[in-house]
Amino acid sequence: MTGIVEARPRRRRRAGAFSHGARIAGAVFISLLFLFPVFWMVLTSFKEQADIFTTPPKLFFDATLSTYTEYFSRAHIPQRLINTVIVSTGAGIFSIAVGTLSGYALARIRLRGAATFGVLILMSRGVPPIALAVPMFLVARKFGLMDKHITLILAYCTFLIPYVMWLMRSFFVSLPKELEESAMMDGCSRFGAFFKIIVPISMPGILSTLIFSIILAWEELLFALVLTSRDAVTIPVAIAGIAGDTETGANWAALTAVGTITVIPVVIFALLVQKWLIQGLADGATKG
Amino acid sequence: MSTLDIKDVRKSYAHIEVIHGITLNIKDGEFVALVGPSGCGKSTLLRMIAGLEEVTEGDIMIGDRVVTDLPPKARDIAMVFQNYALYPHMTVRENMGFALKQSRTPKAEIRQRVDDAARILGLETLLDRKPRALSGGQRQRVAMGRAIVRNPNVFLFDEPLSNLDAKLRVQMRSEIKELHQRLGTTTVYVTHDQIEAMTLADRVVVMNGGVIEQEGPPLELYDSPKSVFVAAFIGSPPMNFLEGNVENGDTLRLDDGTALQLPVADPQGRARLTIGFRPEHLELAESGWPVTVSVVEATGSETQITARLAGHLIRILIRGRTDVKPGQNIHVNVPAELIHMFDPAPIPDVALEDDH
Repeated sequence: MTGIVEARPRRRRRAGAFSHGARIAGAVFISLLFLFPVFWMVLTSFKEQADIFTTPPKLFFDATLSTYTEYFSRAHIPQRLINTVIVSTGAGIFSIAVGTLSGYALARIRLRGAATFGVLILMSRGVPPIALAVPMFLVARKFGLMDKHITLILAYCTFLIPYVMWLMRSFFVSLPKELEESAMMDGCSRFGAFFKIIVPISMPGILSTLIFSIILAWEELLFALVLTSRDAVTIPVAIAGIAGDTETGANWAALTAVGTITVIPVVIFALLVQKWLIQGLADGATKG
Repeated sequence: MSTLDIKDVRKSYAHIEVIHGITLNIKDGEFVALVGPSGCGKSTLLRMIAGLEEVTEGDIMIGDRVVTDLPPKARDIAMVFQNYALYPHMTVRENMGFALKQSRTPKAEIRQRVDDAARILGLETLLDRKPRALSGGQRQRVAMGRAIVRNPNVFLFDEPLSNLDAKLRVQMRSEIKELHQRLGTTTVYVTHDQIEAMTLADRVVVMNGGVIEQEGPPLELYDSPKSVFVAAFIGSPPMNFLEGNVENGDTLRLDDGTALQLPVADPQGRARLTIGFRPEHLELAESGWPVTVSVVEATGSETQITARLAGHLIRILIRGRTDVKPGQNIHVNVPAELIHMFDPAPIPDVALEDDH
């Protein structure tokens, strides 16, 4: 009798250890799957052109920074980086400001047609960006807005605002409405209740949405390609430029070097805010 | 502190009227409980008083000020919500001081008033905690603290105890009562629990389907309910009901053919009648209505007997103990002055539920 009682938990523990091991192995596999291309990109960026195309591929080689030094100035990397920072943070902040307010309205305010309106906005994301690129180009040219930061910021808002709005809407829906009601009884207007109670509580959600928006804008290529030519060119456009730079095929060393430079700020940024990011993703509602 | 007058207030959602003209005058310092089953409109009425719902028609006055169209913040009302709605990012002190801070009260005074309220509610040691570090009862107390700090004209309570366990609920109930006796603030208290309403309120307003079914002091509702609904709602265990046709003035013929001798004839002489009698008013007797005992539940101080009267289950509550056994045939009597007679009406679910 006692033998059976003792055996059971042990077996259960072993099964638990196995599934734990399997989970770790799965996580490692998936991480490798996603990290390998990044690793290969970084590796390639330090290779000479000759080392890139060897078969089998070389893991060990004489690393060189020459591609970096060469393309840093040749592809106007500092200027492109600054452009990208301006445009993506601008678009991120603007779309958060608009999307958070409208998401709150969709979540809370009873208005006729609000739900339809919300779905319409969401549906606008179904339009392929390529279909918008040409009209946007024409509009921008007509109004003399070509190659300006603000143009890209506005263009990015077209896909960021619906995204932010719906993310924030579902976040706000998960908060008890008595929080604002209580604040309104305590002497706040609806705006006051929103800014003093709802916004502070929603900070993790707002920040993680902001980060995603910035990253989406950071890597956007199509609109940037169409709407910029010289002054406001962003990094993805620069990369595309390099891809079409040589007549003898893609310059992989340059591509990967600039690619690495593009990724580094995003990685640093994500690491800095990862606490917020995880909190925002994991815990939608802040329970009182 | 202030009077609160509700004048023929109606509420519609997209042409569907849910509150059908309610008039209620609440005296300064009075404790009024709105009670009724879910969907009866009691919470909607409370939210209209608070300014959280628009009033479709009619007026609400606090003191001599019409507040019908004023926003909540302009009404000087404090409300305790069912889920407490504490601000999760603020400490207990900040939660309680929030309203005063909104009205730009000097810091020293806020501190003083929060400290006073905390002392009344026994929250002194918790002032620096965040709500998530509090137990349910403590959160409830903070929610009340947030209300009393403001010293408002009117307190509103929206089912404030229903998230607490039974024991804590009884304790908080007496704390609310004590608080009201101490502060004397005009209070409107919404609950679906008739015991809460009976024990707390100076006046109980029973609502049903968007109208006031009956209002009055708790014991008046207990003694003289005007309808089957009120009779079923007030009192625990709930009243027993039997419906039938009246024959020869004082005989009730139930639908299964059983004839019951009524102790007194219906003064209104109705042809069809629902009679009601409370479990605690039934007496075991040598003669009277014959019933068959099904269950005997003794709790020491009293004994509850469930018995069958011609196929209808009735409850009998007796003080002290009895030697009645299940299966036994006994007789019960209702004193003439304690039998209630109503127009026939469906018996609401509340009477069929278990004891509260």
